[in-house]
Amino acid sequence: MPIEGSWPRRWAPALPAVLLVLVAGAQMTLAHTSALSPWKGGGFGMFSTLDARPFRYVRVYVTAPERSEELAVPGSLEDAAAAVAVLPTAAQLERFARAVAARELSHGRPVDLVRVEVWREEFAAGSLAPSTRILRQWAHRVAD
Amino acid sequence: MWLTRPADDASLLALPLRLTLIHLLLRPMGPWPVRAAMLGLAAAGLLSSRVLVAPATWLAFAGLVGVRLVVEWPLPDNHIYLLAYWCLAAAIALAGPGARPALARSSRALIGLAFACAIVWKAGLAPDYLDGRFFRVTLLTDDRFADAARLIGGLSEQQLQADRRYLTALPEGAELLDPPRLVEPRRLRLLAWAATWLGLAMESALAVLYLVPGGGRWETLRHLALLSFCAVTYALAPVAGFGWLLLVMGLAAAGRGRRLLDGAYVAAFLLVLAYSEVPWAGAVLSLWPGSGN
Repeated sequence: MPIEGSWPRRWAPALPAVLLVLVAGAQMTLAHTSALSPWKGGGFGMFSTLDARPFRYVRVYVTAPERSEELAVPGSLEDAAAAVAVLPTAAQLERFARAVAARELSHGRPVDLVRVEVWREEFAAGSLAPSTRILRQWAHRVAD
Repeated sequence: MWLTRPADDASLLALPLRLTLIHLLLRPMGPWPVRAAMLGLAAAGLLSSRVLVAPATWLAFAGLVGVRLVVEWPLPDNHIYLLAYWCLAAAIALAGPGARPALARSSRALIGLAFACAIVWKAGLAPDYLDGRFFRVTLLTDDRFADAARLIGGLSEQQLQADRRYLTALPEGAELLDPPRLVEPRRLRLLAWAATWLGLAMESALAVLYLVPGGGRWETLRHLALLSFCAVTYALAPVAGFGWLLLVMGLAAAGRGRRLLDGAYVAAFLLVLAYSEVPWAGAVLSLWPGSGN
């Protein structure tokens, strides 16, 4: 039996388009308020800006007694790092920093502090001269 | 049960639905449980007409794509969202009376709105699109555009590598003794300009054509514009999945079946497949090494 009744018959077909508009509106808001990359989130901002990976990237530093170094993002955390670069909210940064700390400790390496930086590379209009700046940074102190 | 018994005219939608299943088989997606379920369901839909037109099939696809979007958020590309909307639209249309006109309306709205959002970003919100920076930098730095930058833009491999060094930011305060210069041949600037402005013009036209109602010549224009967009854009843009989805929706947006139109959309679907699997620009460059400059 097909969907019956005047209300669902009339409005149900509009649901996908309504969802598209709502998600796109939320994406544009998040891009403005939370630095969501315009390429992601369902707002159809792909191929419109350089504000995306690889021109957004994550740098990770760990500190402990007799240790202070920058880490290469390990393969197991690449997706998490990509998510942080795309949407660098406090919650995402904290989750990523905790994952880095847990990985270091599981490998028997001491860690007191994890610092995460999200960088953005920009290009000057005309000359395309490159420059970089920190978009977000976060520090996670590892509990004893 | 409306979930398994489709509308009377559901069989008229078989072609766009089948092409969607081929798209899903060509580009498996998501974490393994989602991927396995989608591949199994897609294969079942291709083998059984009953499964193909059952609203439950498309509701399941919409749910599975939705799960992928949630699990991998915020990383999925925009066409994955569009795929979820399209599967939901198919389920709703197949469950109601008059599946074909219902899905045609939904498809037109989804295509028009997707392009309208793209225009909002390109022309309004993005600071580096209209001044050409986006395509100037992308053509030089994105490996997927490198062959086109050499073949159409006239860059040599050495110039491309030098330009990439120029576009790599140095640590703060650092300075090179012999800094590279940016080399942009006239053809490359022209390619970036065309990609910027023709892209914007085509997407604006598509948004208007699909959002403003109209039949007859207006509908013919819609199909011509969408087919041209896909034939041109996906020769360079490395997102075949988006192209296939637009073509499937464009086909479903046609009010009634016409052999010529069906054939044109299937041909365009295969053309996008060829673009994605045949590195045509690289092949031309290797056959005629001098063709890039």
